[in-house]
Amino acid sequence: MNRPVEYTITFFAWISGIILVAAIGMLISFLLYKGIPSLNLSLVFGETSPLDALLIRKEVVDGLFPAIVGTTLLVLTSVILAIPVGVACGIYLAEYCKTRWKPLYNFFIDVLAGIPSILVGLFGFALSVFLHKHLSEHIYPCFLISSLALACLVLPYIIRTTEQSLGNLPFSIKTTALSLGASRLQNILFVLIPHNLSGIISGIILAIGRCAEDTAVIMLTGVVAMAGIPHSLLSQYEALPFYIFHVSSSYNSQMELMKGFGASIILLAICICLFTISNILKRMAANRFATRT
Amino acid sequence: MKKTKIKINGLNFFYQQKAILKKLEGEFEERAITTIMGPSGIGKSTFLMVLNRLYESIPNCRVEGKVELKLDGRYIDIHKLPLTTLRKKVGMVFQIPNPLPMSVFKNVAFPLKLSGIKDGRVIEEKVEKALKNAFLWDEVKDRLNDSALQLSGGQQQRLCIARAMIIEPHVLLLDEPTSSLDMEAALKIGELLEDLKQKCTLIIVSHYMDLTKRISDRVLTLKDGRLEIS
Repeated sequence: MNRPVEYTITFFAWISGIILVAAIGMLISFLLYKGIPSLNLSLVFGETSPLDALLIRKEVVDGLFPAIVGTTLLVLTSVILAIPVGVACGIYLAEYCKTRWKPLYNFFIDVLAGIPSILVGLFGFALSVFLHKHLSEHIYPCFLISSLALACLVLPYIIRTTEQSLGNLPFSIKTTALSLGASRLQNILFVLIPHNLSGIISGIILAIGRCAEDTAVIMLTGVVAMAGIPHSLLSQYEALPFYIFHVSSSYNSQMELMKGFGASIILLAICICLFTISNILKRMAANRFATRT
Repeated sequence: MKKTKIKINGLNFFYQQKAILKKLEGEFEERAITTIMGPSGIGKSTFLMVLNRLYESIPNCRVEGKVELKLDGRYIDIHKLPLTTLRKKVGMVFQIPNPLPMSVFKNVAFPLKLSGIKDGRVIEEKVEKALKNAFLWDEVKDRLNDSALQLSGGQQQRLCIARAMIIEPHVLLLDEPTSSLDMEAALKIGELLEDLKQKCTLIIVSHYMDLTKRISDRVLTLKDGRLEIS
């Protein structure tokens, strides 16, 4: 390759990196600039005392506390629902699936990954209508339906990362236990999954981000304003992305819009907390396996 | 007179329709070291993988012909044996040492865990015996709880041999076990293999002519997909 072409490619690579970092920096700076003035305890707890709210002794009616709890629980429930199915499916594709069936499975997973989230929300809504009609009249769009719909939405991330990290393991590692007389399942449980744990957690981190930001799915499946903290899986609930969408699309005063920016910072903080916890788990898993005694 | 441990009749091996091994015939003696030589890419490692059916982990492979293993005095087609049973009888050591990222002790005890042995005392005794048999005990007896990845290349390879030997296989396949080691470590492995000959049948793929000739009872050459006596 001649020098000018090489320099140009290097230049564009640098510029792309700088643009990416600058865009993220600008976005976060803008949010902080707009949102920090509105960040205070009354934004979160309203008129209720923080202790009463945290101990769920009194309901918070004019603060973001129920939405914070709703979002955190929603992300955790969705990810917990998606992990077993996603990891099992990834293992199946990497270890058990016959070569001739793989393209078919990959096609369906790609389709699932490409479905617009509003359609997944619509599916969740249709499911709740179906269950309401045929199973119980007490079932409406609720926390559980939202969690199930979000779990469907993030399944492809977990499946793909599990499959790829298992598939990328060297042949010598894949066959070590097999050559010692391990069954396929023993090989998966004792060698492949422990080796692959940090890869699986990477998929979960992606899934957390996707669950926390999605608004379209939850709008159709159970989120409402002023629902309070969900008391059961069949309750309606509040969530930060919906609050942000609602405030930014129909605010009545500048102060209300500022609250939306405050909510954005809180959502960002929740995501950073969940990412950090996942990353710590990922590092612990990697270290544990590297130096396991 | 030595008895035959493995009989091979008309063995063909195909990878994606391409024949790698063609109408292979041969016999391997019990409690002897047989070395297979031949240029790179000729199918020596593939042949070893056929003997314990490890090739089944690779997609698009196909085997024709018969490989019989002598167990309890009679010859059994390896394709009729349950896979886990076969691999416990026919162990394998790879070219690059592949200890699992866990302690020295757990590495050697790993096959016992797979076999469902839970008695701690039995496990400790067997691990010690296996490490002694692999001439490794004196070097690692104070480091049993250290990660096996911290051992030197030669020690790792002897650890892998100890791990393969702990379940007392009838046959041990070794795929260029000394090629990634320095001369001193390779000589130690050579010594170890001569000693192991008393306990099981060894089939080695190797490039080291000197070492191989010194320790082998028989040297075969794989040429054009066929085994020939050198």
